[in-house]
Amino acid sequence: MKAKQLVAAIGLGSLLLAAAGCNLEKEVDVVLPAYTPELVVECYLQAGQVPRLTVVESGAYLPTRVDTGQPTITLPTATTPTLGLGLPNGITIQLPVDVTARLTLPSGQVVPLRFAPGIDPVTRKVFTHIGTTPLAMQPGQRFALDVRDTRGHNVTGTASVPTFIPIDTVRYGFNGLSGGDRRANVVTRWTDPAATANFYYLLLNNSREPNDDAGDYLLNDQLFNGQTYTALTTFRFMPGDTMTATLFHMEPQYYNFLQSVEGAVRANGNPFAQPARIRSTVQGGLGVFTVLVSDRRTVILE
Amino acid sequence: MPTRICTSSRAAIILTLLGLLAPHLGWAQVRHILSGLVRGTDGTALPGATVAVPSLGLGTATDELGRYRLEIPTGSQEVTVSFVGYLPQTFRVNMGRNQQRDLALAPSDNELSEVVVQGQQTLQEKLETTQMGVERLTVREAKLLPALFGEVDILKTLQLKPGVQSGGEGSSGLFVRGGSADQNLVLLDNALVYNPNHLFGLFSVFNSDAVQSVDLYKSGFPAQFGGRLSSVIDVKMREGSREKFTVNGGIGLIASRLSLEGPINNGKGSFLVSGRRTYFDIFTRALNRANASDESWRPIPDYYFHDFNAKANYTLGEKDQVFATAYLGRDVFGFNSFGNLSANFSWGNTLGTLRWQHTFSPQLTANTQVGVTSYRYKLGSAFDIASFGLTSTIRDYNARVDFDYAPHPAHQVRFGGSVTHHTFGVGRLQVETGDNSLNIDDDISYPALEGGLYASDSWKVSDKLQAEVGLRLSGFSSEGRVYGGIEPRAAVRYSLSDNLALKANYALMYQYAHLVSNTGASLPTDIWYPTRLSVKPQRSQQVSTGFSLLLFGGKFLLTDEVYYKWAANQVDFRDGAQIFANPNLDQEFLFGRGWSYGNELYLEKKEGKTTGWIGYTLAWAWRRFPPQRGTDGINDGRDYYPSYDRRHNLNVVVLHQLNTRLSLTSSFVYTSGAPATLPAGRFPLQNVPGGDLLAVPVYPDRNTYRLIPYHRLDLGVVWKLRPVRFGTERDLTFSVYNAYDRRNAYFVYFEVSRDQTTDVINGFTAQQVSLFPIIPSVTYNFKF
Repeated sequence: MKAKQLVAAIGLGSLLLAAAGCNLEKEVDVVLPAYTPELVVECYLQAGQVPRLTVVESGAYLPTRVDTGQPTITLPTATTPTLGLGLPNGITIQLPVDVTARLTLPSGQVVPLRFAPGIDPVTRKVFTHIGTTPLAMQPGQRFALDVRDTRGHNVTGTASVPTFIPIDTVRYGFNGLSGGDRRANVVTRWTDPAATANFYYLLLNNSREPNDDAGDYLLNDQLFNGQTYTALTTFRFMPGDTMTATLFHMEPQYYNFLQSVEGAVRANGNPFAQPARIRSTVQGGLGVFTVLVSDRRTVILE
Repeated sequence: MPTRICTSSRAAIILTLLGLLAPHLGWAQVRHILSGLVRGTDGTALPGATVAVPSLGLGTATDELGRYRLEIPTGSQEVTVSFVGYLPQTFRVNMGRNQQRDLALAPSDNELSEVVVQGQQTLQEKLETTQMGVERLTVREAKLLPALFGEVDILKTLQLKPGVQSGGEGSSGLFVRGGSADQNLVLLDNALVYNPNHLFGLFSVFNSDAVQSVDLYKSGFPAQFGGRLSSVIDVKMREGSREKFTVNGGIGLIASRLSLEGPINNGKGSFLVSGRRTYFDIFTRALNRANASDESWRPIPDYYFHDFNAKANYTLGEKDQVFATAYLGRDVFGFNSFGNLSANFSWGNTLGTLRWQHTFSPQLTANTQVGVTSYRYKLGSAFDIASFGLTSTIRDYNARVDFDYAPHPAHQVRFGGSVTHHTFGVGRLQVETGDNSLNIDDDISYPALEGGLYASDSWKVSDKLQAEVGLRLSGFSSEGRVYGGIEPRAAVRYSLSDNLALKANYALMYQYAHLVSNTGASLPTDIWYPTRLSVKPQRSQQVSTGFSLLLFGGKFLLTDEVYYKWAANQVDFRDGAQIFANPNLDQEFLFGRGWSYGNELYLEKKEGKTTGWIGYTLAWAWRRFPPQRGTDGINDGRDYYPSYDRRHNLNVVVLHQLNTRLSLTSSFVYTSGAPATLPAGRFPLQNVPGGDLLAVPVYPDRNTYRLIPYHRLDLGVVWKLRPVRFGTERDLTFSVYNAYDRRNAYFVYFEVSRDQTTDVINGFTAQQVSLFPIIPSVTYNFKF
């Protein structure tokens, strides 16, 4: 139950008593603190993949709609990916065009990432910079990123290659009902290494909507260190669905970043929440630079 | 470093020792002690009753147990005893020696005694007391004031006093002089109450039918109190009638109350049992049933809370009396209609005490008490094949002994000690699946021992100068380590004239149990955590000074106090902390310091047909949590206002007795807007392949935004009905909460706005949410 609903429940008595149609919510003008835009980077390196980088600028929460004069490109709305949290198409992402980026490989070689904005046709993710050759990597190796624009912004970050943690099994079960009420759950199991503190991000996708998650879990192993862990879902998937479970074994910095993102997003509308400041994995700006190491299993619910 | 003893203020220690060791100094006139106990004829102890010798201008008030002690010069003197709602009594006493005189006051014949507007502590007594920053409130006073949903709430009434902030709209939370809600020592008959709130703070746990009085100490804490930094809220339960069996109760809009009381063994003792329960759940179930066929209907969770109070006392002999107190309260949320998901959430306090009072002599009495108190919340959920449970508890076993000793007419010495065994069940997480594919049972628990020894002396140095000095030695043991400190307390009063007194005080306090919360509000899921190697005791010091001035022939009392309080080792969470079932919870803590200062102006009228008060507070509260342990601290170490900081706070309370049956009451509150944290920027986060795109808000420094100022007018009418037969009482209490329907801001959030034709997102709009509109209510109270 969302906090707003909880507040509504608390105020139920008052609503019963107050005049019909009494509105306890109204639009107001607020003057938010001044905000200075920052560069936002997103770079997920993967073995065997050509490196891609997305650099955007953060903006004021309530923009004044005044042109900042900064050089930007507006991608066509029709090709912009869908926003999460149920938001439909229509967000225009402003991309700065004066940004240069360099990736330092574990060998020390510096690879420039050229500015070539586009949208991945499969993942529907926007990128602004791209490398030239697929990456090779081993666990423990370290990459570095340097991003700068002509306005003095300089974002840097480093990322290590996590070890590979395999998924043991992905199973499913039906709820015993029939017809239109028949639903399945998905159960993903893996075994946590005992020697280290480990952080995970489990993503479930349904082939019907491959670019929207059907469930995600951010976990650390404090409660199951060295044991087999089972991630459960409710009975909510349809017979015939093709489900893919992707288990990312991640650096603590990336875990902290996602946790802070979650804390920041959920604070809106919750009067009891203490909003979290974003704990970026990079310095000099916002965002994440990390290496994705994942295992993936697909099952058909039949 | 296993032991850490902190010392400060040698001057205060020397003052204390001087006070304790010099009982025979400076008392030229020969006086003797008149002492005793003031009760109602039904046997109920009457704390706050006035015992006076008008011809000499001497007077005192009975303490929380109904005891009094007055030094009177040799000779025959006329003594009067009075108490609101009771007939005054006068007797003559020949003071050639110390004497003890117990008194029983008869209730006033005036059937409207409950609505006679007269404070228990007279203005003259407030002028003459050494202590500053103390508010005594009786339930009789609280019952007169308009209340939210008609539910009399003694803690909300305290919020109308200067220096006390509420946590927000309708909240019972108390934030005293820049301290947080967990820094209040809330006692019910000397037993600690860990969570004094129901329904996220909207109501307090104190059933007005079961409470006699409450004392709030904002500063100048007597030495017998310890363990919290900011205030002491000392609630005393009512004793049952020793005279006759009585039933009283009330039927309100959201809750009903019923109390039974009566004598035990022909008046040698008495009992009182009292219960209260809300009936939100009856309405919500009816609504859910009515909408059961509507697929879009989101069922409203069932919610109710209940309280059960019991108290008994018995006189064993001339010198011995025993008392037993019990309390059980629970809040219960439950829903099981969301598809295959069910959940329940319950929390509450349980406590019980047994006290033995023994009078050794008129000069020396002792109170020995043992008790147990606990607070627990339990969150349970089940979906499909899995069940989930999260529990947090704190359980105390406590023993204490307190002595009152009057070695000399100029000295009233108190000393004693207490020891408490705590068990902090920080969190227990249980996850199970029907097929045993997942089974987690993680229990994090810490035992600890807390103790305190104290001594204090209320010393009448001269007719103009009075001092109260004390020392408290507190200690806390956990995981083989001992923490402790010396807590000096001192208060002085100097009378410049019969109408004007200057006062000042100092107190140092330690707090060893920490309520850690990552929300701006106080929630039942907040966790009590002990002092350990990684978590130092909180410590605060406060100085305050001011004056009290009687005006217009003693009809008004004007008080002005300035204070400065500074606190070390304050505890907060880092942003985004994981607080539930975290075995390394202390790794999520941040430590910092806080300080607050302000001025409290208070004009009060307590007698006559029209009474009330005006309180104005100008105050600041600050926090600073520097970068530490690889974090940025809070706000990168920059100072910030906590969520309960309010610059201005004005309270106006007026009570007017129209006639013997009708009283009109009103209260007006104005406070500056509450600090809040709103996002300044945002950015898109595309996430990994397959992940959702998010619009991520970027928050600036904590609490940089201010909500709009809060103001509200409440109106009330107490209408005493004619009794249906002799000895019965009935009244109707009407309340209008938020009389001019002000939409005060509870919080602000942002909503996506869309183009109505294309449904494309075109921006965000700020939405202000209010909690309560105008709320009229009526409560029927009865007694027979």
